[in-house]
Amino acid sequence: MKRPRRERGAEGIFDVNMTPLIDVSLVLVVILMVATPMALQSSIALGTARPAGHQGAHEQPLERIKIAVLSDDSVQVGREIVSRADLPRVLGPLLSSSASREVVVRCADGVAHGVFVDVLDQARALGASRLTVVGH
Amino acid sequence: MRRRSAAHSDLITRVNVTPIIDVALVLVTILLVTAPMLTAADLPVNLPQARTREADDERNVSITRTVGGELAVDRQHVVWADLRPTLQSVLARAGNQDVLVVVRADSGVPYGEIRALLAEARAAGAQRLAVATRQRIEAQP
Repeated sequence: MKRPRRERGAEGIFDVNMTPLIDVSLVLVVILMVATPMALQSSIALGTARPAGHQGAHEQPLERIKIAVLSDDSVQVGREIVSRADLPRVLGPLLSSSASREVVVRCADGVAHGVFVDVLDQARALGASRLTVVGH
Repeated sequence: MRRRSAAHSDLITRVNVTPIIDVALVLVTILLVTAPMLTAADLPVNLPQARTREADDERNVSITRTVGGELAVDRQHVVWADLRPTLQSVLARAGNQDVLVVVRADSGVPYGEIRALLAEARAAGAQRLAVATRQRIEAQP
């Protein structure tokens, strides 16, 4: 009775089969590597400019902060022209004192899209609630 | 001989299909989950970096513009003349009336081109617009 049982036992596989686990893990790793750049994509919403005639005589004029991106390094906030690096210093107090926190952005045609997005990003990071882009 | 054949009958002689089924099911599940995200064209675009993020999980229609001038609406490559009709047909589909239209443009594209793209999107009937960014991961001090 003992002999056949021992023989069968010696032929059996006693290790835990790791192959399915490793297969699934490797597939997950590959898919995560592919999907990570897509997951890191985000966006900044742009509001549509309201026509000037939209504000009726009874409505209070909207308090908007106007930014114009003049070149890759210079930005005009209101009437003040500052470098892009100085934008938070000028825009921060304006936004904190603004009730609507609405920012209207103009951009010169030759400016790189990356610079334009950086200005939008800075305005958003400083607390702008609505970003409106207007053309020239 | 009888004992030996008995031992043989206990052995598993069939191909173990469990791992392949495991992997196939995982792949199917992941494809089902990621399929809605794969709406953008596979054009090489270096998106501008940004710290703020919003509307990242929202279903959208994307307009891709490479630095070389190639254009695509979702995964469909188009030329400039076909951009507006293509976008109009995409926006006319059921459930797309108020969909977010995201402009995925390379950070090196001049803003004038982006302005023209935004104007085309608005003319095609886009109600909500956004520019795509890549999440900037800042190193912790």
